[in-house]
Amino acid sequence: MAVSVYIPTPFRAHTGNQAQLELEASDVKALLDLLEARFGGLRGLVRNEAGDVHHHVNVYVNQEEIGVLQGQATALRPGDEVTIVPALAGGCA
Amino acid sequence: MILTEGEVAAIRRQAEAEYPAECCGVLLLREGAAPDRLLYPCRNIQDAKHREDPARFPAEARHAYYMHPDDILAFTRKADAEGYAVAAIYHSHVDVGAYFSPTDRRNALVAGQPAYPDVTYVVVAVDRGHAGEMRAFRWEPSAADFVEVPMGAEVHASDCPEKAVDSR
Repeated sequence: MAVSVYIPTPFRAHTGNQAQLELEASDVKALLDLLEARFGGLRGLVRNEAGDVHHHVNVYVNQEEIGVLQGQATALRPGDEVTIVPALAGGCA
Repeated sequence: MILTEGEVAAIRRQAEAEYPAECCGVLLLREGAAPDRLLYPCRNIQDAKHREDPARFPAEARHAYYMHPDDILAFTRKADAEGYAVAAIYHSHVDVGAYFSPTDRRNALVAGQPAYPDVTYVVVAVDRGHAGEMRAFRWEPSAADFVEVPMGAEVHASDCPEKAVDSR
């Protein structure tokens, strides 16, 4: 049984307009590696060159942000749902 | 028009209620014979982000907004499930006027391209607690930049994946 991945609207142009994907991965890092390998356009959008998740992107496993779990080392179990949420932010400066 | 009179009034009330913090939210639109519009106020958690990591988030909510990711997730799922799309993203500026700032522009881009290509960004000025001028901005491909559009312009529920691809 795979992990379910929810792709946000701004990134769907890079996943063939797919909003939901089913992938096999043991942890978040492996999942993001797989996503970037399968959809090259996502490379650089979710993580920076160092491999860290951009600070303007939030990754959730089920309902918890990976920052309060084990980051990209967060283990995934079959049936888990991973959600990628790019920030909406701005300011007056 | 980008916003109905009722939506403008609701955004003004939210902006004044949340003063001196910036407020934020989105307008969802379901196009059809009888377009269905839904204003979706969101939480600005900029102050919490600033407290957690002031180096990465130097501005306080008086000068910036960071929409709660749970709210983004909630309206995105609602839009997907019920056939809505994001038509407008709004926020307030506190005691500085309504304009699309360099920070607004930078954060509206993903890898140099607009995150929501046809969405209208609305900025409302709040001066000493009173909501004032409201201005709208939209990505203009020929200028490769965001340009001001009249508040009376048509709004489109056009961030659906097919159109997003077309506009890139």
